[in-house]
Amino acid sequence: MELRRPPDAQHAVAALGNGSLALAGGTDLVPLLRDGIVRADTLVHLADAVPRGIDGTRIGAGTTLAELEVDPQVPAALREACAQAASPQLRSMGTIGGNLRQATRCWYWRLRFPCWLHGGEVCHAKAGQHREHAIFGNERCASAHPSDPAAALLALGARVRTDRRELSVAELYRLPTDESRDVVVLAPDELVLELDVPLPDASVYLKAMDRKKWAFPLVGVAAARFGDRVAFGLAGVAPIPWAVDSADDLDRATPLPGTAYKVQIARALIARAFSAL
Amino acid sequence: MNVRLTVNGEPHEAEVWEGESLLFALRERLGLPGSKNACEQGECGSCSVLLDDRLVCSCLVLAVQADGHDVVTVEGLAEDGRLHRVQEAFAATGAVQCGFCTPGFVVAAADLLEHNADPSDDEIREALSGNLCRCTGYAKIFDAVRLAASQ
Repeated sequence: MELRRPPDAQHAVAALGNGSLALAGGTDLVPLLRDGIVRADTLVHLADAVPRGIDGTRIGAGTTLAELEVDPQVPAALREACAQAASPQLRSMGTIGGNLRQATRCWYWRLRFPCWLHGGEVCHAKAGQHREHAIFGNERCASAHPSDPAAALLALGARVRTDRRELSVAELYRLPTDESRDVVVLAPDELVLELDVPLPDASVYLKAMDRKKWAFPLVGVAAARFGDRVAFGLAGVAPIPWAVDSADDLDRATPLPGTAYKVQIARALIARAFSAL
Repeated sequence: MNVRLTVNGEPHEAEVWEGESLLFALRERLGLPGSKNACEQGECGSCSVLLDDRLVCSCLVLAVQADGHDVVTVEGLAEDGRLHRVQEAFAATGAVQCGFCTPGFVVAAADLLEHNADPSDDEIREALSGNLCRCTGYAKIFDAVRLAASQ
């Protein structure tokens, strides 16, 4: 494996694609590489290639979760989502750009079962153990997206600037398909550079997990109010961060036998988040 | 490839493999076995070190990410031949059972007290939430952190 440390975004983009992977904080990628779940001929170290820091509504992709969770410029939902993610050790390395690209915690996928998401035919979780899995968008793959900040950014209507275009967080993600099992629309050599996060009138992030600290969301609910409109973003309920307009949308959930309880939790957290705003 | 980093105040240079963790480099290349290798997933915190004054799991940091940076390991906490007050408090309160998690807890607790001289119990819980003690000796570990904070 080769390692490159490009001096800027332009050189980083040129080095990406063709079997190379971007290395940001490394908290997800390093163990994935070590366990052979993902492979790279070349690692492209982004330390000098993506902006880091917070300037009003603009957040550099290299900004760490630890930096976001304490900055008063950052909307509450994103601060709270970062503060409740992982552990202090991981938040000091993990970047917001990398967090948007983190892989599912589905243990079938992480144990390298030849599952649908890995390009196979079946989702082993659907017939097997799936307590942590999806209640929406789970027809092909029942994995749950693990990012708390991504749900917050979805509710906040954040926009993502890459090296070649601007798109919303809602547009960044899409359910994997038979043709492409990826959960984002980005090209292999496309680099997230910056986020623009609108300031809401109020926002909040609530998270149900198996213990009080250092656990992935069973259900995470971000809510943001702009005037009289409230938007919700959910973590841990679908293969991608999932937007809902209200608790009524839970009527359309397609839970598995082992995830039906998540529908109840999501309803309760949405109600609680709504009243907190 | 070659990396240069400062470890516990001393400049070091090491030849590392591109995919090698900082933890491996510290233990196997630089002769600093204090940081422990347990889960290699960032779950247990036994490999905790300070990287540019930030608490990290050295198993999740590649050695090349530390190139040009400043690392403090548990071996670097003592000063002038005297243990760090967190280390003394761990010994005084019996906050050590099998001892495998101890270096990580000591580094995390020292980092907490560096930034917060008088932490509440909740703040201690938060600061140590990335460290696991599988002997479950958390009560004594809390005693140790409170004792160190009081000194």
